Amino acid sequence: MDASLIPLLPGAQVLLTALVVMLLDLFIDEHERGLLAWISLLGLALCGAEAILLWGSSEGTFGDTLLLDNFALFFTQIFIAVAALTVLSSMRYVRETGIHEGEFYSLILFATTGMIVMAAANDLMVFFLGLETMSVAVYVLTGMWRSSARSSEAAMKYFLMGAFATGFLLYGIALIYGATGSTNLNQISAYLLEPQGQWPPYLFVGGLLLLVGFGFKVGAVPFHFWIPDVYEGAPTPVTGFMAVAVKAAAFAAWARILMHELSPLDSDWALPLRVLAIATMTIGNLLAISQPSVKRMLAYSSIAHAGYLLIGIVAGEEWGSTSLLFYLATYAPATFGAFAVITLLTEQDKPKEDYGHFAGLGFKRPFVAMAMSLFMLSLAGFPPLAGFTGKFHIFRSAIIAGHTDLAIIGVLNSLLSVIYYLRVIVMMYMNEGGVKGKSFIESPYLYTAVGLAAAATIYLGVLPMRTLEWSRSAFSSLF
Amino acid sequence: MGLVSAVLSGFVLALIAPWIYRIARGATGWLLAIFPLALFAYFLSYIGAVAAGDVVRVSYPWVPSLGINLSFYLDGLSLLFAFLITGIGALVLIYTGGYLKDHSHLGRFYGFILFFMASMLGVVLADNTMGLFLFWELTSVSSFLLIGFEHEKESSRAAALQALLVTALGGMALLGGFLLLNQAVGSWEISELVRQGDAIRTHSLYIPIVLLVLAGAFTKSAQFPFHFWLPSAMEAPTPVSAYLHSATMVKAGVYLLARMTPALAETALWTGTVTAVGAVTMVFGAAIAFRQSDLKLILAYSTVSALGIMMMLLGVGTAGAVQAMVVFLFGHALYKGALFMLAGAIDHEAGTRDVNRLAGLRSAMPVSAAAGLLAALSMAAVPALFGFYGKELFYESLAEDYLMPVLLFASVLTSMIFVAVAVLAGIKPFIGETTSSAKQPHEAPISLWLGPVTLAATGLVLGLWPSMVDKSALLPAIHAVLWRPVFLELALWHGLNPIFLLSMATLASGSGLFIFRSRLLRLFSWLDALRDCGPRNGYSLALAGLNAAAQAQTRVLQSGYLRYYLLIVVATATVLSGYKLLQDIESLSFGRLFDVTFYEAAPALLILLAAFMATRVRSRLAAIAALGVVGFSVALVFVLFSAPDLAMTQFSIETLTVILFVLVFYHLPRFAILSSAWTRARDTFVALTAGGLITAIMLKASGVELHPKISTYYIENSVPLAHGHNIVNVILVEFRGLDTLGEITVLAIAAVGVYALLKFWPGKTETR
Repeated sequence: MDASLIPLLPGAQVLLTALVVMLLDLFIDEHERGLLAWISLLGLALCGAEAILLWGSSEGTFGDTLLLDNFALFFTQIFIAVAALTVLSSMRYVRETGIHEGEFYSLILFATTGMIVMAAANDLMVFFLGLETMSVAVYVLTGMWRSSARSSEAAMKYFLMGAFATGFLLYGIALIYGATGSTNLNQISAYLLEPQGQWPPYLFVGGLLLLVGFGFKVGAVPFHFWIPDVYEGAPTPVTGFMAVAVKAAAFAAWARILMHELSPLDSDWALPLRVLAIATMTIGNLLAISQPSVKRMLAYSSIAHAGYLLIGIVAGEEWGSTSLLFYLATYAPATFGAFAVITLLTEQDKPKEDYGHFAGLGFKRPFVAMAMSLFMLSLAGFPPLAGFTGKFHIFRSAIIAGHTDLAIIGVLNSLLSVIYYLRVIVMMYMNEGGVKGKSFIESPYLYTAVGLAAAATIYLGVLPMRTLEWSRSAFSSLF
Repeated sequence: MGLVSAVLSGFVLALIAPWIYRIARGATGWLLAIFPLALFAYFLSYIGAVAAGDVVRVSYPWVPSLGINLSFYLDGLSLLFAFLITGIGALVLIYTGGYLKDHSHLGRFYGFILFFMASMLGVVLADNTMGLFLFWELTSVSSFLLIGFEHEKESSRAAALQALLVTALGGMALLGGFLLLNQAVGSWEISELVRQGDAIRTHSLYIPIVLLVLAGAFTKSAQFPFHFWLPSAMEAPTPVSAYLHSATMVKAGVYLLARMTPALAETALWTGTVTAVGAVTMVFGAAIAFRQSDLKLILAYSTVSALGIMMMLLGVGTAGAVQAMVVFLFGHALYKGALFMLAGAIDHEAGTRDVNRLAGLRSAMPVSAAAGLLAALSMAAVPALFGFYGKELFYESLAEDYLMPVLLFASVLTSMIFVAVAVLAGIKPFIGETTSSAKQPHEAPISLWLGPVTLAATGLVLGLWPSMVDKSALLPAIHAVLWRPVFLELALWHGLNPIFLLSMATLASGSGLFIFRSRLLRLFSWLDALRDCGPRNGYSLALAGLNAAAQAQTRVLQSGYLRYYLLIVVATATVLSGYKLLQDIESLSFGRLFDVTFYEAAPALLILLAAFMATRVRSRLAAIAALGVVGFSVALVFVLFSAPDLAMTQFSIETLTVILFVLVFYHLPRFAILSSAWTRARDTFVALTAGGLITAIMLKASGVELHPKISTYYIENSVPLAHGHNIVNVILVEFRGLDTLGEITVLAIAAVGVYALLKFWPGKTETR
C-alpha cells in the first residue's frame, strides 16, 4: 500500500459531509434542520477548495483504479457547483413539499460522491461502483416527494429502466474483461495498443453494450424514454440536478472509457455513434416542440443537448473532447437555472409547469423573467451567452474533424429549438395575467441560485477563455 | 477605446432606461435622444479623418487561443451607417414618446430600442466576424422583442417569432460562412479578410462560403424568397417599423455584402446570384406594394423593393452601381423613415391606415402634410430632392453597361411604381375631400412630427445642396466598398441627357399609374389567387408540419408504457451489437455444442420448457412458478459444473424472488390478456433475437483462455510479505485491509440507517 490516499480526498470529503448530515439529522429538532443545508454547503465548499488546490496533480491510488487528474477535477468542480446550487434552491422547496430535509441533502451528497468516483474511475469496476452509488441515490431522490403520485411513478420507472440499463453495462464490462483480461483502463488500453492479429469480436460487442448503458444514462435516443417521465415527475430541484450533474457524470465516464482508453476501436462505433447523435438531436428537438409543459419541454431539450454533446464524442481528438467538456460547463448553468425558475413557481406543493403559468412573469418578477430569458436564449444558442460558445466549439470541432454534415444538422437543430425556447419568452413578456398573487417560493437562497446561474451563463458566454483552457488541460491530462 | 464605449454604453443605457422612464415619464424620449445625438456628434468628429482616408481600429483579445478579438473598425461605410443609426435613432426616440404615450410598458420599450441601437452600431463597427455575428444576432433578438411588443395580439407574437426564425436561420448560415472563411484564410478580422480576396476566391471552400454569407444577408434584408417576414413585422409599433424595418436593421444585409465585396465579389457566382435575387425582389416588392391599401404595408413592400434595388446594384458591382447603391441607400433612409413616422402619426390622429379611406387631412395636419409632400417627392425622385440623385445614378449605372437592358427595364418599371406608391402614401391622405373618419383629426404633437419633418427637410436641403454630403460622407463609403478611387459629384443639373429624360418619363408614367390605380388593380385582380402559394405559405406549412410531426412522434414514441420502452431498448441493443457479430458469423464455435451428457441436457430442456410455459399460461401464479423452475434449473446447471457456491446463491435468490412475486401479485387484479396477436408476435420476435444474440455471445466467449488463478499469488506471498500462515486472515487484515475497513464502515452506515428507521417507527411519531 504505497500509494497515497490524497486522490480520495474530494470524494471522501463529500461522503463524510453526507454522513455528518445523515447522523445530525437524527439528533436535531425539526425547525433546526435548515442547518443541514448549510453543513452540506460547507462540505461542498471544502471539496471545491480541495479540488482547486489539487488542480494539476495526477495521482492514482488503489492500484491505479482511481485516478485524480485534471479531468476528474474538472468534472468534480461541475458536480460540486451543481450540487451546491441544488441545495441552495431546495432549501425552501423541501419544506413546501414536505420532503424530509436530512435525507434529501445526504442523498444529494451521496449521489455527488458517486459522480466524483465516476469521473476519477480508472477501472471499469470502480466506475460501476460510482455509477451505482450515484444512481441509487438519484432513484430515491426522484421518489422523495411522497405525496405526489407522479413522483413515485417516476422513481419506479427510473429504477426499473435504470436497473435494466445497468444489466447491459455489466454485460459489456464482463465481455471486455473477458476479451482483454483486465478491468483496469490502463491495462485495457495497453492490450489494445499491442500489435496483434485480431481482437476477439465480443470485445466490440462489449463496447457496444457499454454504449447502450451510457446511452441510457445520458438519455440518447432511443434510450431516452425514461427522461421526460422521470424529469417531469421528480421534485424540480432534483430534476435540475439530474439534467446537469447526472448527465455530466455519464459523459465524464464515457469520455474517459470509450473515447480515450478504448479509442483504438473508434472506427468500429463511428457509425452507430453518428446515427445516435443525429437521432438524439433531431428527435429530442422535435418532441420538445409539442410539449405543453415547460418542465417536460426542458426534459426533451436536455435530450437534444445530449445529441450535441454526442457530436463532440464523434468528433473526438483534441478539439472534440475539449469542446465536450466545455459544452457541459456551458450547458450546466442555463439548464439548472431554468429548472430553478420552475422550482420558484411551485406553490404550496402544487407545481406550475405549463407555458401558461409563465404568462406575465415578465411583469410580476422582472428579474426572474430576465434570468429565465437568458437561460432560454443561451440554450437556444444565441450569442453572447454560454450556450452559444458551447455550440460554437462543438460544431467547430465537428468541422475540423471532417464531420461537416453533423455540424449542419446540429445547426439546423438548434434553429428548431429556437421555436420552443422562445415560446417561454413570448409567454413571459407578451402575455398578461396567469401568475396571480403570492404564488412563488420566496426564498432568498433560491433567488441566489438563479442569480448565480444567470451570472455564469453570461460569464461563460462573454469570457469563455479561462474555462476553455481548463477544459483543454482536463482533456490533456488523460494522456 | 472610444469606439468600444460608443457601442457598449448603449447596452448599459438600455438596462437603466426603464428606471429613467419612471422618473422622467413624458420627457424620457427627449432625454434619451441626447444619447444618440451625442454619439452622432462623436462620429461627426471623425468625418474629416475618414474622408481623408484614415480608418480607426481598436482591438482587444477576447478568445486568444482561437484568435478571436473584440475589435472595432471605423471607415467610410461604417461611418455612414453610424450616422443613420444615431441620427434616425434620436428622432425615433422622440417620436416614441408621442406615439406610445402612456403605454403601460413604455419604459421597457425604450430599453429595447436602445438595446437594438447599440447592437446595430456593433454590427456596422465590428471588425471581427464573430463580433459582427454576435451583434447581428442581438439585432434579431431585439427585433423579436420589439415586434412582439404589442403582445395582446396573437398575430404580433406569430410575426415576432416568424421574423426571428427567418433571420436566425440566416444568422446560423452566416456563422457557418464565417467559420469556413476562417478555415480558408485563418483570420476572423474583416479588415484582414478583405485583403485576402484573391486567396478566398480561389479557395475550394469559396462556393459554400458565398452561399452561406448570402443566405445570411438575404434573410436579414428581406430578399425574395425570405421577404415575407418584413411585412408581417409591421405588427410592431410604428417607431419600430420606421427604425428597424426600414432605416437600419434590414439594411444590415446590404451592409454585410458591401463590407464583404472586396473579399468575395467579382465572380460569376456572386454577381449572378446577388443581381438576380435583388432584381426579383425589386420588381416583386414593388408590384405587391402597389396593390396594398394599408399605409404601413405599402411602405413595407416598397422597402422590400428598395432593398432589392440595393442588392441588385451591389451585385452589378461596377463603380457606378456601387455609387448608386450608396446614394440611394442614404436617400431611402431619409424619405422612408419620414413616411413611416407619418403613417404612424396619421394612424394616431385619423384612426385608420387605410389609404382608401384617408383623404383631406391637409387642413387638420398642415405640418405633417408638408413633410409628407417632401418625403413623397423625394421617393418619387423629383429633382431638387435627395431621392433624385439615387435614381439618376441608378439609371446611369445600368445604362452604362451593355448587358443590362432587362435590368434597366425592370428598374424603370419599379421606379414608376415607386412614384405611384409615393403619391399614395405621402400625398393622397392629405389631399382631396375630407372623409368622415372615426376620429376628428388634429395636428400631431411636436414629438410626432419632429422626426418626419427633420428627415423630409434634410432630404430637401441635401437635394438642393448635395455637396454637403457627397464628398464627406458618401464618397468614403463608396471607397470602402470598391477599394479604388472613384469620383463622385452630385449635381442637380447635368444637362439634358437621355437619363434625365428617362427620369422625367418615369415620373409622368408613375403619376399615370397612380391615377389609374384602382382600374389597374381590377384588371390584375386575377393575380390575387397567387397570393396563397408564396413563400409565406411555405413557412406556415413548414411550421404546421413540424408541429404535426412533433405531435405524431410524441404519440408514437412516448406512449408512457414501460414495456414498450424496454422493447425498443432491447431491440436497439440487439441490432447494435448483433450487426457486429453477424460480420463474422462463421467463426462461431459449435464444436463442443453436441458434446453434452444427459445430466446437462435435462436441465437445459427444463429451462426451455419452463420459459415457454411462462409465456403461455393464463394464471399469474403459474407464470411465477414457471419462472421459478427456470431459475432453479439454472442453479442445477451451476451444480453440474461444480460451482456449489453460485448454485446456493441462485437458490436463495430464486426462492426469495418467487416469494416476493407471490406477495405482490396477490394484490393485483386478475390476469387478463390485453395484447393482440400482432403485439405478441412482435414481442416474441424481439425476445428471440435478443436471446439469439446472447447465445451467440456465449458461443463466442466459450473460446476464451482463462486467467491464472489469483489464489496462487496469496499462497506464495502470505508468508514472505505478511508473515502470516492463515491465508484467510492475511487477506482480510493485510492484503485487503482497506476493503475490510470499508465493509465495516458500510455496516456502520447501515446500522445508522436502521437506527433512523427505528426512531421514526410509527409508534414514535409524536416527535414529528
